[in-house]
Amino acid sequence: MKRAPGLMDHPFGADYAQRTLAPADKHLAGFREQARAVFEPHGLPGPKNESWRFTPLRSLAKVPFIPADAADDVDVSAVPPGVVSLPGSARIVLVNGVYRRDLSDAIEGVEIFGLQGADRNLLGHLATAASAPLAALNASFMTGALALRVNGAVPATLHLISIAAAGNQPVAFHPRLLISLAPGASLTLVETHCGLPGQATFANPVTEITLGEDAHLRRYVQVAEQDDSFHLATTAVALAANSRMEGFHLGLGGALVRQEVNVVMRGTAAALELHGAYALGGHDHHDFTTSVNHHVPGCTSSQVFKGVVDGESHGVYQGRIHVARDAQKTDARQQHKALFLGRGPQIDCKPELEIYADDVQCAHGAATGEIDADHMFFLAARGIDPATARMLLVEAFLADAVERISDETVRAAFGRDIQGWLSRRNLKAAA
Amino acid sequence: MALLEIKNLHVSVGDREILKGINLSLNGGEVHAVMGPNGTGKSTLSNVIAGRAGYDVTQGEVLLDGKDVFAMAADERARAGIFLAFQYPVEIPGVSTSSFLKTAINAKRRAAGQKEIDAMEFLKLVKAKTKALGMADDMIKRPLNVGFSGGEKKRAEVLQMTLLEPRVAILDETDSGLDIDALKVVSDGVNALRREDRAFLVITHYQRLLDYIVPDHVHVLVNGRIAASGGKELALELEAEGYAKYQGAAA
Ligand SMILES: Nc1ncnc2c1ncn2[C@@H]1O[C@H](COP(=O)(O)OP(=O)(O)OP(=O)(O)O)[C@@H](O)[C@H]1O
Ligand SMILES: [Mg+2]
Repeated sequence: MKRAPGLMDHPFGADYAQRTLAPADKHLAGFREQARAVFEPHGLPGPKNESWRFTPLRSLAKVPFIPADAADDVDVSAVPPGVVSLPGSARIVLVNGVYRRDLSDAIEGVEIFGLQGADRNLLGHLATAASAPLAALNASFMTGALALRVNGAVPATLHLISIAAAGNQPVAFHPRLLISLAPGASLTLVETHCGLPGQATFANPVTEITLGEDAHLRRYVQVAEQDDSFHLATTAVALAANSRMEGFHLGLGGALVRQEVNVVMRGTAAALELHGAYALGGHDHHDFTTSVNHHVPGCTSSQVFKGVVDGESHGVYQGRIHVARDAQKTDARQQHKALFLGRGPQIDCKPELEIYADDVQCAHGAATGEIDADHMFFLAARGIDPATARMLLVEAFLADAVERISDETVRAAFGRDIQGWLSRRNLKAAA
Repeated sequence: MALLEIKNLHVSVGDREILKGINLSLNGGEVHAVMGPNGTGKSTLSNVIAGRAGYDVTQGEVLLDGKDVFAMAADERARAGIFLAFQYPVEIPGVSTSSFLKTAINAKRRAAGQKEIDAMEFLKLVKAKTKALGMADDMIKRPLNVGFSGGEKKRAEVLQMTLLEPRVAILDETDSGLDIDALKVVSDGVNALRREDRAFLVITHYQRLLDYIVPDHVHVLVNGRIAASGGKELALELEAEGYAKYQGAAA
């Protein structure tokens, strides 16, 4: 396979391929080969790739990752104590992307498959190697997939806990999650992506979600990686007629995190809510990239993303809305607001509206600001010290997004995580 | 020793002097009213005492129980017992009134070495006080001051004063925006707080308020100076004659 000139060096070459577990079956072997043929010539996206301009991967490319399956010194025997506990939820635990039955609960109403049992057609049907370089990387080195098939209403909240853990060497893993909801089915899914202290890790998950007609999915994702770890996630969603999806993404740190979500409306009257919040400090980098594609008439999409940035951190929001010529009566909205806690951080925001239909309602808004001095004085005049006041105001700022989480338990849990983040970070330092 | 002592206070914003040597002495148990035309420095005086940034104190001092107020940050002054009921209370979206109140009460308790208020006790206390001030029960669930009417904001200020039990309360036009009934309710709230070890500085444009909150002293603030001081009859005189004679004297 030939490499284009000027390509960034990266650890995901022939050696890496050799050390990756052999494909489980012929179908997967073929799938991987095709993906590598796409990935290899282009490698990791560089600054010339418009979608990756604000999120440089040089630091990632320098780490000598080995495939997580090749690390025989990783030992995780329990879920880390810091992971949020959601009362009444059933847990699915993955370590370095591999399903751990011993740490997971049995779940009523959900069938869990490896790739063998999964509907083969779901693999790669939404997140194609050609569509996104990180999906190509995932497909090149995936060793299996986890498929959740939901046929009815699942009573318990599903809590998927993905733990990244390295041994003596930095590890990378490329999990694939396939979620399909049959017509009328409903599911609440919480995902916690976290890591253990130690060598750096790189999670490269791809999630493909298919909602049948009238199906309802609530998916709440929190990413709280270690300070030196990487997390580049791609989610692709297809919505059938009258289906509803509520997505919420929380970003609480990591050296380099990107949560990319691409949604396509395939049936009329589908409704998407896609919101997120992030709180960054130190040298954290967090990127939300969304693409919402209204291909059919009468669908709605609403996005509210809010972030606070401290230290030398860098926040990115790229939101693309595409409304096809036929997609009349579309209602598509998006908003990104960021709050600076100091002078060191950086924010890049790029809304992109491509509207080809005429009878539509579309709106986007972007703003950045600092904590309001009048608010600070009001709170001080009531005896509240600056650190506590700042905490109240930051929480209030993020609440605008967090309050859109319709599940009360999750809303409270994510709220507590944000509070925890705020009290850990000594906001006094920013005074 | 006076509870609050303002001595020869000069305050500038930029190169413009706004307060030009204020002297005031508030003893425990007293109510002082300050009246004066628009733009003469009444809010400036209250803001400077409460610790708002942006003012230069070029001369003079303010002492609370003999202690230098300017040596304290705004939040320390509040915990030491200075309370400012704002002329224009700010709206703070996303911060619920109840969590704000609880945070403020606990800040004061912690500073005094007391334990935090428990949830039940807090609810009971707030419920009783909101009721006394004629406020709706669900008001404290709403974000602080957001969408509150002018009168509701002023009641919320008095509620905060009631809960924080200050030593010196400065009411900056708390009566403006209140309807006739509310004026009575709010005044009753203030009167209920009058105590031997507490003092009030009441800024107002209207003599009517002083029928309800009867002052021990009335001061006329014109062009950054106290142009006259007297008893409560001075307010009646101002109501009848306006500020013309003091403005003339100051010019
Ligand atoms: N931060 C500031 N910057 C510039 N000018 C200021 C500032 N604060 C106050 N001033 C000016 O100082 C003067 C006094 O203002 P202040 O608000 O103290 O008046 P006041 O007596 O409270 O008036 P009112 O009765 O209208 O409330 C005004 O001319 C005002 O414009
Ligand atoms: Mg004023």
